[in-house]
Amino acid sequence: MSAAAVPTVDADIETALLEAFPGSSFVFQATIDQIPTYWISRSDSKEILAFLKNKYEMLFDLSAIDERMRTHREGQPASDFTVIYHLMSLTHRRDIRLKIALAEADLNVASIHQVYPNANWYEREVWDMFGVTFTGHPNLFRILLPPTWEGHALRKDHPARATEMPPFRMDDARQDTEQEALRFKPEQWGMKRKHGKTEFMFLNLGPNHPSVHGVFRIVLQLDGELIVDAVPEIGYHHRGAEKMAERQTWHSYIPYTDRIDYVGGVMNNLPYVMGVEKMAGITVPDRAKVIRIMMAELFRISSHLVFYGTFAQDVGQMSPVFYMFSDRERLFRIVEAITGGRMHPAWFRIGGVAQDLPNGWEAMIKDFIDWMPARLDDYEKMSMQNSILKQRTQGIGAYNSAEALDWGVTGPNLRATGFDYDMRRDRPYGGYDQFDFEVPVFQNGDCYDRAQVRVAEIRESLRIIEQCLHNMPAGPYKADHPLTTPPPKERTMYDIETMIHHFLNVSWGPVIPAGECTMTIEATKGLNAYSLVSDGGTNSYRTRIRTPSFPHLQQIPLISNGLMIADLIAIIASIDFVMADVDR
Amino acid sequence: MEWSLSKADETIPLTDVDSAVDEHLKRNLVMTNLEDMLAWGRKHSIWPFNFGLSCCYVEMATALTSRYDASRFGAEVIRGTPRQADMIVISGTCFLKMAPVVQRLYEQLLEPKWVISMGSCANSGGMYDIYSVVQGVDKFLPVDVYVPGCPPRPDAFLQGLMMLQDQVGKERRPLSWTIGEQTVIKPDKNSQRDRLMESRMQATDLREPDSV
Repeated sequence: MSAAAVPTVDADIETALLEAFPGSSFVFQATIDQIPTYWISRSDSKEILAFLKNKYEMLFDLSAIDERMRTHREGQPASDFTVIYHLMSLTHRRDIRLKIALAEADLNVASIHQVYPNANWYEREVWDMFGVTFTGHPNLFRILLPPTWEGHALRKDHPARATEMPPFRMDDARQDTEQEALRFKPEQWGMKRKHGKTEFMFLNLGPNHPSVHGVFRIVLQLDGELIVDAVPEIGYHHRGAEKMAERQTWHSYIPYTDRIDYVGGVMNNLPYVMGVEKMAGITVPDRAKVIRIMMAELFRISSHLVFYGTFAQDVGQMSPVFYMFSDRERLFRIVEAITGGRMHPAWFRIGGVAQDLPNGWEAMIKDFIDWMPARLDDYEKMSMQNSILKQRTQGIGAYNSAEALDWGVTGPNLRATGFDYDMRRDRPYGGYDQFDFEVPVFQNGDCYDRAQVRVAEIRESLRIIEQCLHNMPAGPYKADHPLTTPPPKERTMYDIETMIHHFLNVSWGPVIPAGECTMTIEATKGLNAYSLVSDGGTNSYRTRIRTPSFPHLQQIPLISNGLMIADLIAIIASIDFVMADVDR
Repeated sequence: MEWSLSKADETIPLTDVDSAVDEHLKRNLVMTNLEDMLAWGRKHSIWPFNFGLSCCYVEMATALTSRYDASRFGAEVIRGTPRQADMIVISGTCFLKMAPVVQRLYEQLLEPKWVISMGSCANSGGMYDIYSVVQGVDKFLPVDVYVPGCPPRPDAFLQGLMMLQDQVGKERRPLSWTIGEQTVIKPDKNSQRDRLMESRMQATDLREPDSV
């Protein structure tokens, strides 16, 4: 990890906090990622967060930890459930983490949705998963699990496996109850059924609809064809990935990360393995870093190609998707030759990658980077310059940078609003500081510009891959460290010590030292972060996955109200989300 | 039907009249029974429902695009509504919250209808033995073909589709509610593992992954 990857720390923040809140206590906690972490008191949490909003414009993440079974909590205040706020300043390039300790008997904390609007869904998620009540929250219902669910899934005493729970049965009675529970009740959301002489229609779009890109449901309040209000409903794709991390070893969790942003492939492995490496103190060799960057950028192109094709299709162009998918196949041939897999190679390892690049990889990469630019020129003419596509997307679903930051929007969707921020350039990680590339920025923040950012990014990714091709360092593809997986085997037959360590690291998995670490990357759709808590065991005590698509969906009503249904389809297409990246 | 190739300057001997008539009949006349004919028609005109759950759906969609091209098998007419479709591919994880929706969509498909379970999650829950996932869609839907993989390659999906077509071609259904037996006779499902075990065991030299 380069020196620049260390977050810029605001040294004066503690003084500023103490000055503004003289009666309050701030307990500092040292973390491995060096993000300043303070335990604050529950009584004035809302005021503290409001005060910090001037310094940290974005609520990056809000989650919780069930601390009841944790053994290594040295120096931390007593807590049964801890609510964590991760604030981020993109302009100053720094983070701060605030924690609130809660006792099991009194799980209440003030809602901050008025301070940071995107807290709304995060708080609902914490309520759903941990049962923490946020006082003052307008609609604290379940968000990920069905409304009929009992219990809070991320609590340590909730069963993890489906096979630990009663067998699943779907009889008519259950079907009726579940369907009834999913029925949309406008009153629950404070919506009126009529206004004056206008009677509103409520349209249920999804959870299965060709243009919602997966199992996503959005309920529209309509006046004719105009959208008065919209309520996105998620949770139809909740695979319990965070709970899964608590029973998989640090190593065997890697395949699950692939399936978070399922068109992002190994890009998902990156923040996870980098987080674990930071906790384990592993330095990754240069060759592994460059291989990782090359593969991640290939998958960025793959993801953007899927976006490009489906975006054009959703606004009415039938043929582009066939061209983009054929290029994606071309790309998958390379991925398959290198990793052996297509969509989910799970190919990164703690300490490096699974194997070295195969002989002849250079020619394949070279063919691809020679092939793509001309194709992109074609697509430009075919799609982006098409007048109908322009009419359907220009000026539609626009928001500005301030709104984007308020709602936690990152990645291409933020850069489309003229906000020039790319983690790869501005807070480089994993070796990106060694590469020369531009960050495409567009100004209008509408559907068209969101597409333009991605199209331009494909070309930049090609540039990065070309630099990888020409500057691939020699050397090992994995770090020589006892905690890497699979562990080094060469010396195992010579002394019993290494033999035992090897045996344990393979059968039980590596033991990662206790601590907390958050690792953020610029993924295909925005900022993706893994917050890992190790209790000094062979598996994670708590894994929190902050995905970019979750806040992006929350923002849909803001940009679609007042438009037509057809515009909403263009907006949904331009946001570029996959449901696994929302519900995890 | 008999075909022969000849050079342009060759004189082609005239066929005798009888065989010409035979040939004409062969080309234009099919002798079959109604049941077989219907089964043949069903087999080659499967209309899939545009339905996807997760990762597998991307590979299923890839199977429809140019390189794989599912339309070669007469199954490219993707329908947006279950009422016009006769096959549903459960492509992805079957979530508890989604199960009642899947059930309703299945009920809305018109008879005769078939189900392909695509990918490990839909087959058995796969790697997701977790509180929010139904451990296999066959817990509540009758599955005709299981396609293994996580996700299966588009070619594997196409193989599954062809196997389903094969089954549909062999299936016997009542011609009308007034004629004959009212039961649907489905062919036995055979396990590919059992069928191919012997030939697979023959493969001893596997390609090294060290070069492309």
